[in-house]
Amino acid sequence: MMQAKNAVAVVGAGNSRFGDRIDANLSDLFSEAFVEALDSVDKGLDPREIGEFFIGSLSSSGEQIGLSASLLAEYVGKRGAPAMRVEAACASGGYALRAGIMSIIAGANDVVVVGGVEKMRDVSGPQARLWLGVSSDTRWERWHGLTFPGIFALQATRHMYEYGTTREQLAYIAVKNHSNGAENPKAHFRRKITVETVLNSPFVAYPLTLFDCCPTSDGAAVAILCRADIAKNFTDTPIYVSGFGAATDCVAAFDRESLTRFDSAVIASRQAYKMAGLEPKDIDLVELHDCFTISELVLTEDLGFCEKGEGGRFIEEGNTQIGGKVAVNPSGGLKAKGHPIGATGVGQVYEIFHQLRGDVEKRSRQVPGAEVGMAHIQGGFGVAATVHIFTRG
Amino acid sequence: MAYISVPEIQRTLPQRYRLVGLKCKKCGYLHFPARKVCKNCGAVEEFEEVKLSGRGKVYSYTVIEQGATVYEHTEEAAVGGAFSVALVELEEGVRVMGQITECDPYSVRVGMEVEAVLRRMYEQDIVRYSFKFRPIRFQGRAERP
Ligand SMILES: [Zn+2]
Repeated sequence: MMQAKNAVAVVGAGNSRFGDRIDANLSDLFSEAFVEALDSVDKGLDPREIGEFFIGSLSSSGEQIGLSASLLAEYVGKRGAPAMRVEAACASGGYALRAGIMSIIAGANDVVVVGGVEKMRDVSGPQARLWLGVSSDTRWERWHGLTFPGIFALQATRHMYEYGTTREQLAYIAVKNHSNGAENPKAHFRRKITVETVLNSPFVAYPLTLFDCCPTSDGAAVAILCRADIAKNFTDTPIYVSGFGAATDCVAAFDRESLTRFDSAVIASRQAYKMAGLEPKDIDLVELHDCFTISELVLTEDLGFCEKGEGGRFIEEGNTQIGGKVAVNPSGGLKAKGHPIGATGVGQVYEIFHQLRGDVEKRSRQVPGAEVGMAHIQGGFGVAATVHIFTRG
Repeated sequence: MAYISVPEIQRTLPQRYRLVGLKCKKCGYLHFPARKVCKNCGAVEEFEEVKLSGRGKVYSYTVIEQGATVYEHTEEAAVGGAFSVALVELEEGVRVMGQITECDPYSVRVGMEVEAVLRRMYEQDIVRYSFKFRPIRFQGRAERP
């Protein structure tokens, strides 16, 4: 069997602008990211070489649940190519990436397109509230009126109780991610905020306010993957998939041993570190799943960047800023770059691709000397997670 | 799709009304809600029914604001305002999600002692009832923020 470490390379990536995309439908968004990804392949890529499409998407609010991957492959001129939708709620993009990598390692494909897309802003308020939270336990949690932010709020309350974490520390995460997003031309929110903005905005689910939560966004992202041994045919600076892992956990929060730890992140990251032969201290930047500020805090601990319970202080001291020990969400994260569900995990690859090549479009956002990047994404309350570690060739 | 069907409610009435859990005959592990396979030892359908006491302590909580409820709770929140949802650790050791009622939602605290009561939940095709929790009062110590 082929060795998994560094067997697959990323040779191109595209990312539509995230946000309110009144100008574009599902197909247009995907096409925007696809065209950018093709154009980004330094030595060019004949679309005929693409073997298969793996596209992460939750539902696009019900518009095209069935066969959306076929629709999109055909839309970008690849009628006939195998294409499938991959669904793992917010981790759909991460699992699409995993599926694409697996297909190359299995020897089934030489070149694949991994994509993600979501159209979320066209729906009415009530419809959006119907769709949000369909990935939590509906029968025994949503039943009680528990919203998706509510589940993470339970985590925040408990983390505050166990470790003395404060609302200010959570707010600081939103401030940092907005600050990064302000420098990202693809981001949904490009406005800096202050700790007061977060603390004084209305509660959505105590202790989380509106500014502790990521938005719903329209958007798409595409990564072009190939066998590592042919990567130099496409670019002199490919990015390699050096380690990956995935794990699932109970869907219901009440079934968890701990509310303040994401076992899926612990397990998936351990697998990825082991395959790559790397440790948390080797990671220069990480794009992780900050659907809510508390999620970023807990994941900063669970991915191994600091001890359990120390997240609040570690972040407050500036260790996760660009230029700090590990740059966390230099793109702005879900919080500011935006969260078009299926697209998010692939959008992380777009960010890491450019960070590791040192060609981020704005120098203010470039992580200095970045050589190792990590992508972590999770569906639901840390239910389905993937972790990928990328290194510069 | 976030729609809990009437037959599903019918199947689970003893759980939703009376907090009936299942105890594994093989290993003694207590489950709520019910399931077919023991999540501790893997025994299949070897359970006995156990009515949970409904008494426990708040393990964690949140307050869902009036304008930020899930869709099907919109009307209830419009009338009743913000409400607290808590993860409650029952005396038997099982953790159960439930609303906290009969108190200011912002007065709920981790460790607060609560007991289960049967209350109206929301309406969707039919009126849906469920257990909720309320603070156990008159213990000689007030719960104040
Ligand atoms: Zn058992």
